[in-house]
Amino acid sequence: MSGTKIAGRAGVYIAAVVLAVYSAFPIYWMIASSLRPTQEMLMNPTLIPTKITFDYYYSLLAQTDYPRQFLNSLIVALATVALTMVLSVMIAYGVTRQRIRGKQMIIGGMLYAYMFPPLLLAIPLYAMFTRIGLNDTLLSLVISHLTITMPLGVWFLWGFFKTMPFELEEAAMVDGCTRLGAFLRVVLPLSVPGLVTVAIFAFLLSWTDYTFALVMIGSDANKTVPLGLASMVGAFDLRWGDVMAGSTLIALPLFAAFVMLSRYFVQGLTAGAVKG
Amino acid sequence: MLPGFLAVGVIATLVLIVGPAIYAVSLSFYDAPSLTSEPVWVGFAKYGELLVSAEFWNALRNGFVYAGLAIFLQVVLGIGFALLLNQRFFGRTLLRGLAFLPYLLPTVIAVLTFKWMVDGSLGIVTITMADLGLPPIYWFETETASMISVIMISVWLWTPFVTTTFLAGLQTVPQQLYEAARVDGAGPVRRFFHVTLPSLRPILTVIILLRSVWMFNKFDVIWLTTQGGPLGATEHLPILSYRKAFALYDIGSGAAVATLSFLVLMVAVTLYFLLFPMEKAK
Repeated sequence: MSGTKIAGRAGVYIAAVVLAVYSAFPIYWMIASSLRPTQEMLMNPTLIPTKITFDYYYSLLAQTDYPRQFLNSLIVALATVALTMVLSVMIAYGVTRQRIRGKQMIIGGMLYAYMFPPLLLAIPLYAMFTRIGLNDTLLSLVISHLTITMPLGVWFLWGFFKTMPFELEEAAMVDGCTRLGAFLRVVLPLSVPGLVTVAIFAFLLSWTDYTFALVMIGSDANKTVPLGLASMVGAFDLRWGDVMAGSTLIALPLFAAFVMLSRYFVQGLTAGAVKG
Repeated sequence: MLPGFLAVGVIATLVLIVGPAIYAVSLSFYDAPSLTSEPVWVGFAKYGELLVSAEFWNALRNGFVYAGLAIFLQVVLGIGFALLLNQRFFGRTLLRGLAFLPYLLPTVIAVLTFKWMVDGSLGIVTITMADLGLPPIYWFETETASMISVIMISVWLWTPFVTTTFLAGLQTVPQQLYEAARVDGAGPVRRFFHVTLPSLRPILTVIILLRSVWMFNKFDVIWLTTQGGPLGATEHLPILSYRKAFALYDIGSGAAVATLSFLVLMVAVTLYFLLFPMEKAK
């Protein structure tokens, strides 16, 4: 190997280490801080905790609203995913298969929906929910999350259904399937990768949302984890250990899901229309 | 079945998106101190008040500074990281995963972790800087430092989007083009500017568009970090809109700010399309 080549390889590895530290250190520090005993945290902390303790997790789960908030987040995210799937599959499939005028408008409108400032939707939705008595409910949060996840789902699945040949359904219908039967038995199973992608991103958006939750939710009982954690910092003297434990608990499921589904994440990102 | 599907879709879109958007715009013509009191029609008065107020122009300028710098850094770093991750080296798959992780984090967690790391007495950054004999930085107390803080958090969170999208694009560039450029004697820098960038121009156009729209509308990073302070130094249009509607209970003004920010974005996006026409998708 020539000198410049060796220098080039060394440069690549140095850059790789820099990128690894830049990306992962804050996450490592969050996890390490959640496991460190308090007296160690108050002194000059070592890079690796000398003793591991689960005290913060215990106090977080036993003495705060965190379990309740975690459950709220889960309910909201799962309901958002379910409704997003049903609605966006129906619209995207309808638009690609039905010959009607104005379908470009529906698809174009979905793209414009992306440009709406969240508050342009949050203010009127909040006003409407207040009038009909739905304010400060988990349902109001699910409905507001749908305003982002549904356009995303339609936009993504539209591209997916468009490329799927008509002949597949026609063949099934010639064999005696109804259109609904052909859709359920032929189109949906073939769309699984697209459906998984939409479900992942809908979950991610709903699970991580802070803005809509801040506007919609007022009572402690209905707070989701992002909202609960944020108010924990404002409320008492800073209990950083608890906060970092809560942060770790909400981040780890996302990391686990990513490891299992990373293929779909990349697919969804490159399709160009995902989470902001 | 299909007409039924479409009907459900159209109704859902109207109820969820079109209706509220129209309602928001109409709210901007009313004076309503609360959501239960009877609103009073005031025409364009809210817009007039805003357009002569210093806080509106301050928020607009801050929005451009925040979005502009954050997008610039995300794109430059993202392309750099993508080029690195496209090299062959030991541990590349793991590093690709690590580089993506910040994107998965809820904003709240990124902000809280940042606040913890720069905490005045116990934060690792504070302690390390003191050990190195560097002067302390007041991250959220001075105007420049607080703007830098919100930009840094945003760049850390969303650079992975650019990295991953650009990396996926890199794999579609035909290898023959690189071979040809190499034969013609082009070094790595010229290969990047004459092969990679032109091939990935359509992807880059979309990345910059999407990131701009999102950064311009981004509310949570700044709200959670500084709430627009100190003294309005990080207040941009989404924060101003939220403050008007939910802290000052002036719903009309809040809606007017949101409408104006949508209009600004529409103009910017239209100009962008004129400057960089989208090529037809494959």
